[in-house]
Amino acid sequence: MMSTLAQSGAPEIMGSITLAHYLFVSAAMFALGVIGFLTRRNLIIMFLCTELMFQAAGIALIAFSRYHLNLDGQTFVIFVLCVAAAEAAMGLALTVLLFRKRESLSADEWRELSG
Amino acid sequence: MDPLIPSLILYLACGLGGVGVALTLPRKGYSLRAIGGVLAAAAVGLVILFLSLSAADRTPSELPNLYFYAFAIIALGAALRMITHQRPVYSALYFILTIIATSGLFVLLSAEFMAFALIIIYAGAILITYLFVIMLATQAPTEGDQDLLAEYDTEAREPWLASLAGFTLLALLTTVMFAGSSHLPLPGARAASADTLDQLPRKVERALARAEALGEGETVVRADQANRTIVVADANGTTRTIGPDAWPEGLEATNVESLGINLLRDHPMTIEIAGVILLMAMLGATVLARKHVELEESIKAHEERRLHDARTLRMEGEA
Repeated sequence: MMSTLAQSGAPEIMGSITLAHYLFVSAAMFALGVIGFLTRRNLIIMFLCTELMFQAAGIALIAFSRYHLNLDGQTFVIFVLCVAAAEAAMGLALTVLLFRKRESLSADEWRELSG
Repeated sequence: MDPLIPSLILYLACGLGGVGVALTLPRKGYSLRAIGGVLAAAAVGLVILFLSLSAADRTPSELPNLYFYAFAIIALGAALRMITHQRPVYSALYFILTIIATSGLFVLLSAEFMAFALIIIYAGAILITYLFVIMLATQAPTEGDQDLLAEYDTEAREPWLASLAGFTLLALLTTVMFAGSSHLPLPGARAASADTLDQLPRKVERALARAEALGEGETVVRADQANRTIVVADANGTTRTIGPDAWPEGLEATNVESLGINLLRDHPMTIEIAGVILLMAMLGATVLARKHVELEESIKAHEERRLHDARTLRMEGEA
C-alpha cells in the first residue's frame, strides 16, 4: 500500500530503492570502520576509522530523515560533523605529541599509560 | 512481514565478506589481497542483488537506480581499501573518495546542503589536517630504503577475530533492519516543517510578483503551505486570500531554507554548545601540541647581550 502510493509516477531516479538499501550501506560502512579500528596499529588510521563510523551514522541519519520527511536528522548530522572535527583536532594533537616522544605511530606505544 | 532477504543468504554474505576482509588486511609474508577483495565484493553484490530483487517484487516494472548502486559500491570499496592499505597517505585519500561517494548518496536523499557541507568540511578541512599530520609524523626515508614501511603498518592485529566481530555486528544489524521496510517517499517530497514558508514572506512575495498575482502595495501576511493559500494585505490593511489555484509555480521551501530554519529556530542552544566544543578542542589541541623551544645557553647569552646593547644605545640617544 505504502509502496505503491509512494512510487506512483516516480521518475527512475528513485526507482525501487528502499530505506533498507541505505541502511545496509550504512551498516556495512560501520562494520568496516569497526574492523579497521580493531586491526590497524597505526594511530592515524585508527582515528580515520572512527571518522568512517561517523560517516556511516550520518548516512543512516539522513536516510531516516528522508524517510520520515523530518529535518531533525539532517540537523543532527551537522552536530556530528562538529564533534568529528573536534575529535580529529584533539586526536591528531595527541598523535603529534606521541610521535615527538617516541618517533613511532604505533598504538602499542601507549601501553604504559594504563599503569 | 517477511524479511527482505532470506536469512541464510544474508548470513552467507556476511561470512563471505568477513573472510574477504580478513584476507585483504595487511599481513606479513604471503598476500591474498586480490582474492579477499573479490570475496568481499561478491558478498556486497549478493546482498544488493537480493535487496533489489525483493524491492522489484514489491514494485514491479521499475528499473533499478544506477546512481545509488554506483555511489554505494564506490563508497564501500573505497572504505575497504582505506582500512586495508598499508600506506597512511593512501588510506586518507581513499577516505576522501568515500566521502565524495557518500555526498552523492546524500544528494540522492535530497539533502543537498549536507552533501556540500560534507565535502567542504570533511574532504576540505578535516582530511587536509590528517594529511598534514601524516606528513609531519613520518620519518623521512633514507637513501636506499624508499619502500620501507613501518612494521605497525604492514601487519594487522588479529585480522580474523576482528573480522568475526565486525561481521557478526553487521549480520545482527542487517537482520533487524531487513525485517521489514517500505519505500522512500516521492522524489519531489521535501522535508520541511509545516510553517517554513510562513517564515519566508519575502520569498513568497517574490514568487507572487513573478506570477503577477500581487497587486500594487500588497504584502504577504501569511502563507499556508499545507492548504496552498496565501493571505495578502494592501497598504490600508485590507486582506484577501489567494487560493490554491493561484499558488505560484515552483513555490516551495528549498532544502537549505528549511534546514536553516530548523537549525536556528529549533536548536539554537545546541549551536552554542557545538561552538563551545569546537573552541575547547582548538584550545586543547594548541596546548597539547605546542613545542617547548629550548634555547642553548650561548644563544641565550647572545640574545641578552644584544638586548642590553640596544637598551644602552636608546638611552644614549635620549640623553
